[in-house]
Amino acid sequence: MLNVKDLRAGYGAINILWDISFQVAEGEIVAILGSNGAGKTTMVRAVTGMVRPSAGVVQFNGEDLAKKSSRYILDQGIVQVPEGRQIFTEMTVLENLEMGAFNKETRAAFQENLRTAYQRFPRLEERAKQAAGTLSGGEQQMLAVARALIGMPKLLILDEPSLGLAPNIVDDILQVAADMARRDRISVLLVEQDITKALACADRGYVIENGRIALEGTAAALSANEHVKKAYLGI
Amino acid sequence: MSVNEKAVRAYRRNTIICLGGILAVFLLIPAFVKNPYTLNVFILIFYTSTLSMAWNLLGGMTGQNSLGHAAYMGLGAYAASMLITKAHLNPWLSGILGMIAVGLVAGVIFYPCFILKGPYFTLVSIAFGEALRQFIINSAFFGRASGIGLPFGRDSWLDFRFGSKEPYYYVGLVMLLLVYLVMKKIERSRMGYALRTIREDEDAAAAIGINPMKYKIMAVVVSAMVAGLVGFFYASYIRYIDPEMMIQAKSTESVLPAVVGGAAFVEGPLVGGLIMVPLSEFLRANFSKILPGINMLLYAVALLAVIRFRPAGILGWYSHSKLKTFIDTKILKKPPIEVIEEVELARRQRKEA
Repeated sequence: MLNVKDLRAGYGAINILWDISFQVAEGEIVAILGSNGAGKTTMVRAVTGMVRPSAGVVQFNGEDLAKKSSRYILDQGIVQVPEGRQIFTEMTVLENLEMGAFNKETRAAFQENLRTAYQRFPRLEERAKQAAGTLSGGEQQMLAVARALIGMPKLLILDEPSLGLAPNIVDDILQVAADMARRDRISVLLVEQDITKALACADRGYVIENGRIALEGTAAALSANEHVKKAYLGI
Repeated sequence: MSVNEKAVRAYRRNTIICLGGILAVFLLIPAFVKNPYTLNVFILIFYTSTLSMAWNLLGGMTGQNSLGHAAYMGLGAYAASMLITKAHLNPWLSGILGMIAVGLVAGVIFYPCFILKGPYFTLVSIAFGEALRQFIINSAFFGRASGIGLPFGRDSWLDFRFGSKEPYYYVGLVMLLLVYLVMKKIERSRMGYALRTIREDEDAAAAIGINPMKYKIMAVVVSAMVAGLVGFFYASYIRYIDPEMMIQAKSTESVLPAVVGGAAFVEGPLVGGLIMVPLSEFLRANFSKILPGINMLLYAVALLAVIRFRPAGILGWYSHSKLKTFIDTKILKKPPIEVIEEVELARRQRKEA
């Protein structure tokens, strides 16, 4: 479904990503792992068109999206939950969700998608009229995920959902992601620092170090890998 | 028709009556007030508030704080005046062409500038304003520092030229109303929502498929065009313009009504202008004799008081005040918000069916 090949990207003269390649199949959860500054967020931004790749291919359902605008990429069904939640704090919860349906197609199906989102996160329905900034951190992350769901993703990108959240809330959110992949065949690209949690949820994973793919394999294989154990899990 | 629908309709009607009443007062003022000085203060209120609405589209709604709006206003005034005096075009046509010119210049200049965010954008807007002023001061074509005078002559609607204040009063009022309606329309449109998301978080806006650059450029072009329109009105009213009208202090003056009135509201600049302009004129008329400059000091104190005690502006305070509750329930007979939403939803569903 998503096939990234030899992707290079960076900011100005500084290159961050060096020949990154990975694949995500339909209904699959793929974890991208790495420490701070490894290039994970740059990779997300390159895939979603917010940073223009300098080389490489981002193939999605057979179409190369590497030079397309972020709007176009979104319309193809690649929706991201940006790092650090990034909800609109002064708007109400409902308005935030409405903003997730900014293009025509998603707006037509808004009411139906809203019902589904409320089923997944009943807390959001209770707080629909509240300013989003008054929600707790976990609820804000739920809102960010729900807003992405309103955009009818074929591929959902979660950029560090665990950032600053209590462990049980992270579990809830990963549970929803797993659920979507299994039941609705939505592919999930899970970008995480918390390797234990990410590998528990994902099918396969890639480890990024210094802007390159250092390791790849199934979740079980990566968990058992000596280098991963030593460098990331501290065991 | 249900009870709810009737209540909502009555509330709408009461609101329209109240707004119509306020408008009627403004329409009737020239019939009773014959003092040219007082009329001049009203005209000043109209064009200052309109300029501040232009600023508010960019500063309040989009969160891009410009401190260069006097430059757009000056550019509009110069463009229109040059077309009138040198090309001998009709003033109304010149005004429209001037607006378009200002919109184009603003779009071209700010396209690269929007890579900058926050205070850097503000700095560039200051630099742009000052650069434009210096350019005019040093250009013989634009009359250098001595400015341009518009021709005097018989009163004429065609030439937008009058000896009395009344026609300017009404044109100023119409300009204010039209710009207000445009701003209101923008606020409720797709563009308005996009601008609000950009104000809150540009990256999040981009993540949901809004192109921040496109909408920021749209905002800056509309904002500059309105400022240019105000410049045209100013030039036609005063009939003389010089580069002084583009100094930094004038840009700040375009910000104040919005900030005092409440930058989060389209109505903010109107309320702020209605208070700050007469206050400034009153202080100038009554205190500058006692001690030169004290009027500016008092004005600054009033401004600081608002920023210190009501940072959300007068409307920010009003929207949560007992006064609003009183007006809503006792005068406008506003039904509960749930009822309004229910009726609104039913209406929308009927429309779709």
